[in-house]
Amino acid sequence: MTLLSVLGVISTAIFSGTSLLYTTLGETIHQRSGIVNLGLEGVMLISASAGFAVTAISGNPYLGVLVAILAGGLTNMILGYLVVSRRGNQLASGLSLMFFGFGVSALIGQSYVGAKINPLPRITLPGLDKLPLLYSSLFKFDILIYLAVPMAILIWWLLFRTRWGLGLRAVGESADTAFASGRNPFVIRYQALFFGGMLAGLGAAHLSIAYTMSWSDFMTAGRGFIAVALVIFSKWHPLRAIFGALLFSGAVAFQLLLQSSGVQISPFLLDTIPYVLTLVVLIAWGGTRRQAAPASLGRVYQGSE
Amino acid sequence: MNAKSLYLFMATLLVAMLVLAGCAPDEVAPEITEAPMPEPTEPPAPADEEPCLIIGALHGGPINDAGYNQAMHESVMQIKENIPCVKIIEAENVPEEAAATTTMENMISEGAGMIIATAFNHQYPALTLAEQYPDVVFEHAGGWEMSGNFANFFGEPPETWYIMGVAAGLMTETNKLGFVAAFPIGWTNTFINAFTLGAQSVNPDVETIVAFAFDWADSAKEADATNSLINQGVDVVTMHVDSPATVIGTAESRGVYSIGFQSVEAQQFAPEYWISGIGYTLGGKLTWLASTVIDGTWEPIFLRCGIADGCMEMAPFGKNVPQDVQDQVLAVRDDIEAGNVMVFAGPIIDQDGNEVVPAGEVLSVELMSAVDWFVEGVIGSPK
Repeated sequence: MTLLSVLGVISTAIFSGTSLLYTTLGETIHQRSGIVNLGLEGVMLISASAGFAVTAISGNPYLGVLVAILAGGLTNMILGYLVVSRRGNQLASGLSLMFFGFGVSALIGQSYVGAKINPLPRITLPGLDKLPLLYSSLFKFDILIYLAVPMAILIWWLLFRTRWGLGLRAVGESADTAFASGRNPFVIRYQALFFGGMLAGLGAAHLSIAYTMSWSDFMTAGRGFIAVALVIFSKWHPLRAIFGALLFSGAVAFQLLLQSSGVQISPFLLDTIPYVLTLVVLIAWGGTRRQAAPASLGRVYQGSE
Repeated sequence: MNAKSLYLFMATLLVAMLVLAGCAPDEVAPEITEAPMPEPTEPPAPADEEPCLIIGALHGGPINDAGYNQAMHESVMQIKENIPCVKIIEAENVPEEAAATTTMENMISEGAGMIIATAFNHQYPALTLAEQYPDVVFEHAGGWEMSGNFANFFGEPPETWYIMGVAAGLMTETNKLGFVAAFPIGWTNTFINAFTLGAQSVNPDVETIVAFAFDWADSAKEADATNSLINQGVDVVTMHVDSPATVIGTAESRGVYSIGFQSVEAQQFAPEYWISGIGYTLGGKLTWLASTVIDGTWEPIFLRCGIADGCMEMAPFGKNVPQDVQDQVLAVRDDIEAGNVMVFAGPIIDQDGNEVVPAGEVLSVELMSAVDWFVEGVIGSPK
């Protein structure tokens, strides 16, 4: 294994982990407010296709990112109406949102499959621009990558250091108690869904506008669900989510490295490494999960009279 | 939030969603809007002339993907250009077997006398329907089943892959070529082998490194795989996935050469580091098939045609390909068209040193679809 291939695993982990991190942060906010959003896959697809389409039309990737963010937040409002206002079952509503997203994103993206866009520009880290292109291009990141870790810190600060975050977590632990102390669980959950959806939209925007520079149906390929798993993996903590996202995408990069370095193991088996790894860590940390999960996660708040 | 303001909010939201969805397909009005299951509409106003043949064509993916589906779509549309009295009903994004069956039934109920199914998964639904509708002619792209009114057609990519291998073998400096593939299935393995044999014919030290994404359209993983190959020292990348956009675009951003496959449109993604590419151009043969259906002489044949028959086409060379490389590649192309080069002529040795094609024999087309070995010089596991 050469230096380039080791650096490459790190680079790929950062590139493809970014969209996972944003989405995981979004789901962390949902779940901290007591809502399991299984529709993330659909939310991401709608955001990725809308952002890509707008970038293709306008030629401006920043406008595309903005639209993707808004599309994510607005799509989540559908879930909000279902599970907060209409008090529907969260799991069933989330899954329907996912299928809704499959269809809507295919419709939005229909004319833009195979379109060539102006991707988000990539900026080389200072000092690295003297290296050969093969190396410098490894660490030539777009703005969304540079903002990913600061965003995780910001979310941590919002959740654990502000009154808004305290209220949000209180609703996730016990909506009735939060209501008794003067908070409105309905409003807070809508806010959490909108904000979290915007983050998922940001992740999706990175996927289609910055990293792959393309749109294809179902292009998220399960990343919405991986994000849900990573929330549990990171024990509902935004900073641990950085580690989770990097570990998962690093494992993908690592198994591709194994494949391409001629290891005589079936590629079918190698492809399962990232998922097996996630499972193993979940099992290993399983014992402490109960204390970490918001107490009323997944429960329908019936309102307090 | 009281009920009134909530409804106001929801209404605003709904309008926003509709605007969002509405503005998307604004720029390019899709020419073909036949949904997989066309709803019964009023009968169209009587046309000036009755179409001489209605052709129903269905594709597994979107027809503007700059990849396989676009190549197939353009081939089908060429029938209409050559035989103007033909009417074409087209359906895209029909990847599943159940949906394919309903789509084809709808097309037949709208009067289709010929069905062209272009996705791998369409073969058995089409074969089943062929028994129920003996008067309809079914043609499947790339399949192997045959019956009285069911046959198949396809381009012969292996020999064109060989030509691309020659180009790659001449362009590489590290002697490492990269191949991003979706799944280790027979045809993909055959393409990888043909590509490698072509490269080795001009540069015996060449290795081809393979990475599988295990998805036909997971763009992010294709980008991951492309980067992984480049980090292993590969300086020419090619692929067998649905759309070449991501792999070629990623190679371009790393300053690495690429070779396209499926549709010759792929060049737009690599203005700088494009070598060449190959695509399906089956319009001519499909026109001929349709004309035999019209005059009643159609017979089920297992149709395979190569670059010499115009069924495959080479994309123009990129701007950084030196003239002597272009000349050498074109010379090999002439040899192939003249029938002087057999890609899989024995002896062929696999990765483990076994002789998979003995001297004096040639790998048959039937066996090519079930290849589960890689030739010597390929790095990666085929199963």
